[in-house]
Amino acid sequence: MGPLEGLAYGFSVALLPSNLFACFIGVLVGTIVGVLPGIGPVGAMALLLPSTFAMHPATALIMLAGIYYGAMYGGSTTSILVNVPGEAGSVVTLLDGYQMTRRGRAGAALTIAAVGSFVAGTIGVVGIMLAAGWLADVAIQFGPPEYFAITLGGILLLSRLSGGSILNAFVMVALGLALGTVGMDSISALRRFTFGSVQLAQGVELVPVIMGVYGVAEVLLLAEEGIAKTQIASVKLRELLPTSEEWRRSTMPIARGSVVGFLTGLVPGPAAVLSTFIAYTLEKKVSKTPEKFGTGMIEGVAGPEAANNGATAGAMVPLLSLGIPFSPATAILLGALVVHGLQPGPLMISQRPEVFWGFVASMYIGNLMLLILNLPLVGVFVTVLRLPQHILATLVLLLCLVGAFSLSNSFLDLWVLVIFGVFGYALRKLRVDPSPMVVALVLGPMMEKTLRQALFLTRGSVVDLVARPLSATILILAAAALLGPPLIRLLRGRRFAKPIPQG
Amino acid sequence: MLARAVPLVLLVAAGVYLTLALRLPFGAAARPGAGFYPVFVAVFAIVVALAATASAYRSAPGTAAIELDAASRRRVVISVVALVAFCLAMPWIGYPVAALAFVTVILRYLGGRWTTALLTGVLSSAGSYVLFAVLLDVPLPRGPW
Repeated sequence: MGPLEGLAYGFSVALLPSNLFACFIGVLVGTIVGVLPGIGPVGAMALLLPSTFAMHPATALIMLAGIYYGAMYGGSTTSILVNVPGEAGSVVTLLDGYQMTRRGRAGAALTIAAVGSFVAGTIGVVGIMLAAGWLADVAIQFGPPEYFAITLGGILLLSRLSGGSILNAFVMVALGLALGTVGMDSISALRRFTFGSVQLAQGVELVPVIMGVYGVAEVLLLAEEGIAKTQIASVKLRELLPTSEEWRRSTMPIARGSVVGFLTGLVPGPAAVLSTFIAYTLEKKVSKTPEKFGTGMIEGVAGPEAANNGATAGAMVPLLSLGIPFSPATAILLGALVVHGLQPGPLMISQRPEVFWGFVASMYIGNLMLLILNLPLVGVFVTVLRLPQHILATLVLLLCLVGAFSLSNSFLDLWVLVIFGVFGYALRKLRVDPSPMVVALVLGPMMEKTLRQALFLTRGSVVDLVARPLSATILILAAAALLGPPLIRLLRGRRFAKPIPQG
Repeated sequence: MLARAVPLVLLVAAGVYLTLALRLPFGAAARPGAGFYPVFVAVFAIVVALAATASAYRSAPGTAAIELDAASRRRVVISVVALVAFCLAMPWIGYPVAALAFVTVILRYLGGRWTTALLTGVLSSAGSYVLFAVLLDVPLPRGPW
């Protein structure tokens, strides 16, 4: 199936009433959790994952992905109006977005953010169509050694990019890899690290871990504040229109942000967050008046807001064509497919076209829905912010508890939830990002399986394992990305004594 | 304290993990057993946990961001205690009562009024029980009543 034919088929799937409805629920929930500080898209996806078990896999994917990219739209609203990021991908937006609000241009900032997100989302879907198909064709030749190299390289890259100290990221990776080995060994059926527990033989479930570190931990942070009142700037509908000057200045930042975002999404790491920082820095660099950034420059809203949506699209490519999730959000999407016995990978696009193309087409529809939800209806979502936060937070906790139990009706999952909630809270206080742990928990078992299969194939020769052209290329690229930046900094530091100004 | 305790706990955990991993069949490079990969993970974990512990002890103690005032700390502690109590009690007293108590206590201690807390507790406990146990067939324990 060619891209156009596939897309036409995809629309016939995505336009089914059940899928349209799932898409709407997904983007609606996404917008709400994006608007609300505290709970983010990953926690919400984990919460709703159990409810998708009864759905068709395409429907499940459509709904959960809608939450992910929908949150990128909603997050900007809170950043611009309240000066608090609705979710992590909108931190950069508040630098100039809130300044625009203070100058009375909140409406323009909201419109540019929503339109920028829409353009980037749409460009991103075209990117998925082209890149996923191409990558899947290449990936058909991959054997265990290549997959081992991709998972290992991905984990290394992720640690490099997750922000903060690389040592902390490595500690998180080690913990995630170790947790991934708990339970029944898939090859020898031996029980490992279960301490005799029958329930632990299933392994440490991903979803309660994610609900803990992204749901419970966030609520505990909110609990510190107690009851807080938020000041919200109000926006009138006719103030939403940007001036033609503002449109003109935003065009190129949106285009650049879309591309930067999509490319960042392809690389392992917290793509949505990272892409906004890259886009903001880029806009500052190409601007004729970089010193004005931070005072309400529309470019500083347009670029990053386009980038985080481009990144959510880009992140789908490795998931759909290789079956490898490089972020907690795509790990949940993988979980949603695996429950239905579907293994994403190079063969899924041809064998289950209704899932792949239906999902791609739904992203066009979802982005259109989001544009409508976030512009004329922005006032409705702002009222969500007026709801008492402490009541919402408590209800989120209760939903996490029920959600974790309902996964497999097991009390063990409840304890996993609580333990990782407290642990995630401690990590937040230490400013350590838990996502390398989450991704390593998912990639670890894949890495072990492919390593053991690959060693069987090469009869135990490590040289044969890494010297195959594809796996060698992947590992060299990962090593270059891992060691490159510090090396460049070292060389530069010798040539220029003056530090490069930041921020 | 937290900044030093966490890497230290992880270091101990990594040590326990290594001893357990060494008891599993290691196999050989050509036929890796169940303990093959865990041993590498354990060695990696010990190396990074050692480095993290060392760096935590070298840097100045007590980062400002970790310090909380007494009221904030109390709210966090109460929330955690409520979570643990919920997990312990739910199998015995059932979901509806546990959820009611959980929501009411947390809301009360976050600083709400008793009446609001109790009303929200009743509504959320009943609502979530109907949604999950009745409509979605999740076997939430009902308790002895």
